[in-house]
Amino acid sequence: MKQCEHFDVVIVGGGISGGIMAQQLGAEGKRVLVLEAGADTGKTFSGYQKYMSTFFTNLIKIPNSPFPQNLNAPQPLVTDVSKIAEGKPSTNGYFVQRGPLPFSSTYTRALGGTTLHWLGTCLRMLPEDFKIKTHFGHGLDWPINYDDLKPYYEKAEFGIGVAGDADEQNYHNIDNPAVHIPFKSDSSQDYDYPMEKIPQSYLDNEMHKGLEGMTVNLSGKDYPVDVVSTPQGRNGMPRGNFRPRGAVGNPDLGQRCEGNSNCVPICPVQAKYNALKTLDDAIATGNVEIRSQSVAFNLEVDPSTNQISKVHYKKYQSPDSPDYHCETVSGTVVVLASHAVENAKLMLASNVGNSSGLVGCNLMDHPTMLTWGLMPENIGAFRGPGSTSGIPSLRGGEFRKDHAAFRIEIGNWGWNWPTGAPIATVPDLIDEKNLYGEQLKAHIAATYPRMFRFGFLVEQLPSVNNRVTIDPAYKDRLGNYRPVIDYDVNDYTRAGMAAAKRVSDQIFQRLGVEQYTQYDESQPGYVTYQGEGYSYNGAGHLVGTHIMGSSKENSVVNANQQSWDHPNLYLVGCGNMPTISTSNPTLTMAALTYWAADNVKKALQN
Amino acid sequence: MNLGDFYQLSAILTGYDEARLQGSGVGETYYEVLTTLIPSHILTQLQDTFCTIEALPKKALDSELRKQILANAMLGPVARNILKMWYTSIWYPMPTAWSKIYAVPNQSEQKYQDVEFIISDDAYIQGLAWEAVHSHPMGAKQPGYATWSFTPHDIASATAKRNPAK
Ligand SMILES: Cc1cc2nc3c(=O)[nH]c(=O)nc-3n(C[C@H](O)[C@H](O)[C@H](O)COP(=O)(O)OP(=O)(O)OC[C@H]3O[C@@H](n4cnc5c(N)ncnc54)[C@H](O)[C@@H]3O)c2cc1C
Ligand code: SF4
Repeated sequence: MKQCEHFDVVIVGGGISGGIMAQQLGAEGKRVLVLEAGADTGKTFSGYQKYMSTFFTNLIKIPNSPFPQNLNAPQPLVTDVSKIAEGKPSTNGYFVQRGPLPFSSTYTRALGGTTLHWLGTCLRMLPEDFKIKTHFGHGLDWPINYDDLKPYYEKAEFGIGVAGDADEQNYHNIDNPAVHIPFKSDSSQDYDYPMEKIPQSYLDNEMHKGLEGMTVNLSGKDYPVDVVSTPQGRNGMPRGNFRPRGAVGNPDLGQRCEGNSNCVPICPVQAKYNALKTLDDAIATGNVEIRSQSVAFNLEVDPSTNQISKVHYKKYQSPDSPDYHCETVSGTVVVLASHAVENAKLMLASNVGNSSGLVGCNLMDHPTMLTWGLMPENIGAFRGPGSTSGIPSLRGGEFRKDHAAFRIEIGNWGWNWPTGAPIATVPDLIDEKNLYGEQLKAHIAATYPRMFRFGFLVEQLPSVNNRVTIDPAYKDRLGNYRPVIDYDVNDYTRAGMAAAKRVSDQIFQRLGVEQYTQYDESQPGYVTYQGEGYSYNGAGHLVGTHIMGSSKENSVVNANQQSWDHPNLYLVGCGNMPTISTSNPTLTMAALTYWAADNVKKALQN
Repeated sequence: MNLGDFYQLSAILTGYDEARLQGSGVGETYYEVLTTLIPSHILTQLQDTFCTIEALPKKALDSELRKQILANAMLGPVARNILKMWYTSIWYPMPTAWSKIYAVPNQSEQKYQDVEFIISDDAYIQGLAWEAVHSHPMGAKQPGYATWSFTPHDIASATAKRNPAK
């Protein structure tokens, strides 16, 4: 029998979490293998260009449109999402959705993972976010707090390359102490982000002026509505001797964001961070090997030690053919970094790490409610990165006893998200509004640059009923399980959506924005609360499928992100997060991954 | 329909002059798509109709173009498709009702088929919709660092007009 190849560390998944692990451990001289389910097209610059071309000519401009569907490692698509009839799961796409509501978020299965198409928003969590059970009586407390994670936030901000100004991101100018985030401490008196903040858009600045002094009332208390720049994993002006990381294989390109306005689904110059960069650094250590087109499907446990003794994977020759063969490797430490849903699926399929019964449970996202309208004046829509500012002042406060908190994202791309404008809406001007020639041109010039939208990222609580499971009736082409998803949005979040809509209405009234927001029953994410209808979209923030906690009974991993059941098994990714709160999760997850890497280093020393 | 007439008609339909359209470098591809998919007798009729009205003064041209082309059951959908190609870089399939009465678009072995498709990478980048918005195509023709914080084009030029001294 063939000897099973052994590595110090076997990492399943070549996305940001796997990349950080590989780079950190490779740099320590550990022999690391990364198994990647998808193709490695993006590894070279010419391969990346192929993604661009696929994007340009793909009719459907969704986050995954540059990244071809690969039936050997399928990925969910936004276009799969539909309403779910009772007792009749929707099986349109890769996910099997049992409802009652559709789970609308997606991810990417190709080398580099979902950061290939993320937006790059890199917010820290608020100190109170780590203890919402204690403060507000909802959700769960984390087994760690903000101060524990703070040094790792700094590592993650340098690792990703985040542009921002600490003096703004501490939110100390916001008249709501609940959202204040301490950046300085005894150990880091003059910490600042590696790059200066990305310039705010003309729209942001107009909005800032228009909303000055505005307050809204939530649960009987007034809160400020403040526009603040957003920290982003996007190259700007470097501070000190930090050197921005350009495109993989073409490092002079992408040293600065050039305003391509295409961060989701793909930044043409890689000015926006993607995990290909970290993986490239990992390879440069000389100790890391990446095997792509290798889908991990089973983890074997040595019953005498409870260690994960083997990782089985299916190696296929081409995404176009179902042919594969099985291979096996072993690692002193095994790290699952294959994304929240896939990590859970792999553990369930292998029946490991699940003594708590919580693997797959507590799936969360930010149900994202959009509102949109026409500004009274030209605000220069459709320019710049997807979003350069937000309204973070309602991320925290006493009102969280009553309803979900939310962060407001200010969108720079007009109605592109809600309507597909301009490309998807111009045909209607021609076919239905009967415009052509000068009139058509003038109509577009007079309205489109005034298009404006908000995105409300509403907090969702952990629930054991929102979960990923597996079912032998549903498998993919290689015979691997497809994720089966149960999902609902409870009243706490719906009440947050209702509060968000009230805030939006007040802002529109104040600025004279002509309302075009429309929620109707035909939308898959349509929900009602106290007689009013609202619609949510997916944010791509899949969190909480293998949560971290204080005991073997209440969680899947401990604070070290180590499985409670198998001492050599570590989990990384947003699945570890017990709550989602209001920040896009990846920065926090990256910080946790640097922490986990330290723990693995220690474990390997012993 | 010859290429020259195609550009002339396109200029009227889009509101961009011929030089601008030729400069985009994708007009010939659009012409090729059109002539592959729409039978030539229909295009000849479109060309003939256009030739009888193109020299009219602006207002009369607008009303005759609407009457004789856009509101014409056979020619209207073809003209609108030309316009949509220029603005969105997409070919939209001809309406079923149109195909039933006038002609089944060439469908078979050809390079192009009468289905919805983006004409090419280049066409996407050259879509006039982006220019009409006073922006640039998402993912191309990047305007440069920090440009998004500048005062938008119209406001800037209006202010310049109001304060010529500055
Ligand atoms: C449209 C969109 C926008 C987003 N914007 C933001 C944002 O602005 N800010 C933010 O914080 N977050 C954002 N996110 C979320 C962010 O992309 C994810 O949180 C992050 O990428 C998760 O990292 P990961 O390493 O856990 O998983 P991934 O990045 O998904 O990487 C997992 C890797 O594992 C591989 N893999 C999967 N299964 C297997 C298997 N069985 N065997 C081997 N390999 C496997 C995959 O192919 C992939 O390469 C966004 C997401 C989307 C969809
Ligand atoms: S705005 Fe353009 S250059 Fe900047 S990150 Fe987004 S896609 Fe890249």
